[in-house]
Amino acid sequence: MFTSFDLPDLLLILQGAFVTLQICLLAVLLGGVVGVLSGILAASPFAPLRWISAIWVGAIRGVPVLLIIFFVYFALPLMSPGSNVPDYWAAVIALTIFASAYISEIVRGSIQALPRGQFEAAQALGLSWPQQLRFVVMPQAARIMVPPGIGFLVVLIKDSSLVAVIGLIELTRAGNIVASQTGQPILAYLVVGAVYFVICFALSVAGRRYERRLTIHARPPRVEDALTLSRGDSK
Amino acid sequence: MQLFFGDLIPHAPELLAGLGISILITLAAVLIGSPLGVGVYLLRASRLPVLRAIGAAYVEVIRNTPLLLQLYLIYFALPSVGVNFDPITAGILALSVNNSAYLAEIYRAGFEAIPRGQIEAADALGLSRRTTFFHVRLVPALRNVLPSLTNQVILLFLASSIASIVAVPELMHVMMGITTSTFRTIETFVVGGLLYFLVAFLIAGASRLLETRGIRWKVA
Repeated sequence: MFTSFDLPDLLLILQGAFVTLQICLLAVLLGGVVGVLSGILAASPFAPLRWISAIWVGAIRGVPVLLIIFFVYFALPLMSPGSNVPDYWAAVIALTIFASAYISEIVRGSIQALPRGQFEAAQALGLSWPQQLRFVVMPQAARIMVPPGIGFLVVLIKDSSLVAVIGLIELTRAGNIVASQTGQPILAYLVVGAVYFVICFALSVAGRRYERRLTIHARPPRVEDALTLSRGDSK
Repeated sequence: MQLFFGDLIPHAPELLAGLGISILITLAAVLIGSPLGVGVYLLRASRLPVLRAIGAAYVEVIRNTPLLLQLYLIYFALPSVGVNFDPITAGILALSVNNSAYLAEIYRAGFEAIPRGQIEAADALGLSRRTTFFHVRLVPALRNVLPSLTNQVILLFLASSIASIVAVPELMHVMMGITTSTFRTIETFVVGGLLYFLVAFLIAGASRLLETRGIRWKVA
């Protein structure tokens, strides 16, 4: 009654991985737009704008991702009767909402990490708030955002496994299917785990490298740096 | 669209019981995960390269795979080799293992922030290895990373909702039951979401209080 774990099973898992990457990429792009806007509001000098952002971010970070997914899948369609959201887009919307709050925090943190003198100098030059952002703040903050941004991408890829429960066949659900078809759940889940690990670990390592480069450039060069750099990444 | 929050009043005891179980499994995972995390950190900091590699592999594998998959392995896959857990045990186990890997990394940051001079001073004073470990390294290390630790507890509490997928009767599972019996989907999610938010908010508040009031001396 069970088929053995074979090439088609592996292909199904890889297809699932492709869906996982797709929905995460869409969520980061869409959530990035909302998140950057919200992050800029959170770091703005205007209190009411900061409150709007704080409520959005606080509400989303205070509830489980699973709740956001269920809410989008079960509750949103009730608010606009007759609408029919496919699983795929329900997953993308839920992960976008989730991503927007976390990206907002990363953007806010990166802007606030800049030395105060940068803002004061920009003000002294008579730049308006949008001009300060465009020419002084964002070009510098963008580099600081990269390491935590990659860290969040890893979180997002892992948490995207939760959309398996609304039936979308992504990586984890593909593993479920293979597990029940082959009767070898341990093997199926280990293969799925290995695929997650390869994707997430590669991202984690890339993030750590970028962070190290960033900190090397951020401080005045020292003789030791030349020596450690020539020895490569042996830390 | 009309909302009927009144329909949920008869279900209030169920919701609170579910919240209780959510808090309970989170506490269990904190109690089991904390010493486990210290153990994993000690492996990572060991002098033997083999132990260091095992510790590092444990942390990287756990932190780079989804909690849901870890839960599936424990609950659905282990029975195929004769190891059976009931849902609550499986949920607590998965959360504890997951938590321990993140804690090990937080502890590492705390331990590495302790100046060598303090440990050398403890040596010079003739303190035993055990006393040095607990009073010069462990406790100050924990104080160093208290904000990260409480943040991890909040993340863990929110992640405990994942246990609902293997039918642990915690808050999220109770909510799903109520939506199918009352069809008050939006209302249930709003109330359940508020309960999660409230507890997360209280943990964050308690943490801030602990930071400002509880800890009067700083390490280095």
